[in-house]
Amino acid sequence: MESIPVRLIRMAAVVVALAAAPLSAPLAAQGDTALSPTYGRTPPAYRGIAIDARMAEDFGLRPGSLARLSGKPGETGDTVRIAAVFERKADPAEVARREYRIRTHLDHLQGLLGLDDRVDRFAVGVPDGVPVDSAVARINHVAFGFRAHKSADVAVQSSRTFRVVERFHRAIGLITVVASAVFLLCLLLLSVEERRRDIAALRLMGIAQGTIIRSIVIEAAVVSVIGSVIGAGIGWVSSLIVNAHFQQVYRTPLLFALLTPEIFAFATLTSLVLGIGAGAAAAWRLVRTPPLTLLGR
Amino acid sequence: MSMRTTLALATLRRHPARTVLAVLGIAVAAALLLDMVMLATGMRESFRSLLLTRGYQLRVSPKGTLPFDSEATIDGATAIVEALRANPDIKAVSPSLGTTLALPSQAFPSVFTLGLEADVQGDYVLEAGRDMPGPRNGAAAAIPLPAVVNRMFLVRSGRKLGDTLTVAAGIDAQLRTTARSRVVVLAGEGRFFYVPAETPVMALPLQEVRTLLGAEYRDRISLAMAESRKGDSVSVEAVRSWIAASQPRVTAISTETAIRQVEERLSYFRQLAFVLGAISLGIGFLLVATLVTLSVNERRGEIAVLRAIGTQKGGVLRQVFLEGFLLSSAGIAGGLLLGLVTARWLNGILRDFPGLPAAFDFFLWSPEAAWQSLALLLISGTLAGLLPAWRAASIPIVRSLREDAVG
Repeated sequence: MESIPVRLIRMAAVVVALAAAPLSAPLAAQGDTALSPTYGRTPPAYRGIAIDARMAEDFGLRPGSLARLSGKPGETGDTVRIAAVFERKADPAEVARREYRIRTHLDHLQGLLGLDDRVDRFAVGVPDGVPVDSAVARINHVAFGFRAHKSADVAVQSSRTFRVVERFHRAIGLITVVASAVFLLCLLLLSVEERRRDIAALRLMGIAQGTIIRSIVIEAAVVSVIGSVIGAGIGWVSSLIVNAHFQQVYRTPLLFALLTPEIFAFATLTSLVLGIGAGAAAAWRLVRTPPLTLLGR
Repeated sequence: MSMRTTLALATLRRHPARTVLAVLGIAVAAALLLDMVMLATGMRESFRSLLLTRGYQLRVSPKGTLPFDSEATIDGATAIVEALRANPDIKAVSPSLGTTLALPSQAFPSVFTLGLEADVQGDYVLEAGRDMPGPRNGAAAAIPLPAVVNRMFLVRSGRKLGDTLTVAAGIDAQLRTTARSRVVVLAGEGRFFYVPAETPVMALPLQEVRTLLGAEYRDRISLAMAESRKGDSVSVEAVRSWIAASQPRVTAISTETAIRQVEERLSYFRQLAFVLGAISLGIGFLLVATLVTLSVNERRGEIAVLRAIGTQKGGVLRQVFLEGFLLSSAGIAGGLLLGLVTARWLNGILRDFPGLPAAFDFFLWSPEAAWQSLALLLISGTLAGLLPAWRAASIPIVRSLREDAVG
């Protein structure tokens, strides 16, 4: 659970946004006539707000549209002008939350929420050469009702979600690698054992054991590499499908699946090692068996 | 043991390394499938049992919000709670107000505080010490005010039950003063159902929290939980509809709706579970199909002999089929154990998710779902032997015998 202060601006923005959305259309539809100043009066100066692209799309808002904001449901609130539409950053922490976001001027939001001179947090920059730790210590020494944290510590705390997801993905990855490894070992072992008669014939022709083992290992390595490349191709196509699906579901530019050179190298290397190991083990077993036994005699 | 089973077992024993690898492969696939089924169903069931811990099937929150998902509060709460309590279809109503209170001169500056009515609260269960007083037990007169805290509060504050401390609200950072404060005694330790284990939390009588927060909060709550007298879904939905119609300033959410909304947020895990579950089914199928096919190819001569001495096509078919079944069964038995162990491990990882209630589990053993998924893998593995079994039964006897004899 986030701390209450951290949530305040975010939640307030959501309440404001939700209050704004249903009222925006009727107001916008009134056009300039309904909102024109009476003769001799100063035209009302609407405060500008920025809204996220998702909200703009869902409610048909665009720069210049008018909306009404209130701090609580049911209140009249303020009429505001949409000054800008912004794209939300691709933040995995928010991807599953279907909230809208708006940005207001600080004093405007404080007024809407009746918070006078309050903020949730503020950032402090220290001059070059001043140790951040000592600045934090000095602030906390005099702090009353608040606490200073280093940005790096905040980043570590807020990235905990991603670290948990990363650990989970690694664990799932490990299980799938084990499953794939066993599958690969099985297949290579079988494909070599299926050629008992060929190997027996080679042995009877006088081909050396080492030559047979090397040829089988090379064959296994080639099969593993080709399989890895095909697998990487399937993985790449799958990642495109996965990204297209989830980006549409969550309406985010976030990438959910990514095939990096490191992942490709890991997969290829793993299958190569397993392939060579399985090929060598199977070949060693077969060349040690008398050729006539391999032929079933 | 029938001759067919004996033959199938003998075939599997003939290549022990191959059989062990195949069983291991199916076991890993079965474990992954079981884990994914537990993940897909576990979140839902875990969340449901969490919500129904104390029997409250409905959550009443400020209009348009989810419980404790915003700072919004319900004004005029007394009238709303009284109206709910007056409804004969509602058995109990538990109002709560969540806020952050300052802890002057403590190890950490503030604590998440729940204002509750002790006699109807459904947020915690007392594990040690004594409970806070209810509204009719003279909470206001109690000096110092008894509070219930969780284990994390005691750990982080270095306090123990019986200690007193001051909680405050209305901080003026410039003047270094608080508008209101109250001395509380840590009377009891509770296990809070909906608060993450890593969050220190304190429960105080609702009215006292309102008083601390000032005049603006004297009639406010963040949430009310309501219990329908009849527990069936139709009655709960009827009560929910009545609240929605009679109380325009609140949103009433049933357990089912709450589960749906949480599922929406955690849909990523469900979809991941579906994809990986499908992959593990595919791996199991391919593994059995490959093994049985190669095994049949190796034994063409043997099968031809069986056919030549009078074994019916159906007999050969059933025997090869049995091999696939035995391989799958052995793998699934191992997979069940492996799956439970890995589920425990994966659950331990995901339970570190910040902000999740301590009692929430991602992987939950659901016998019905687990057996269904493993049965699916067993059927899939057994069916994987269908094509090779058919090919084995259709072997041309004379040609196969000649090929086997000549080599």
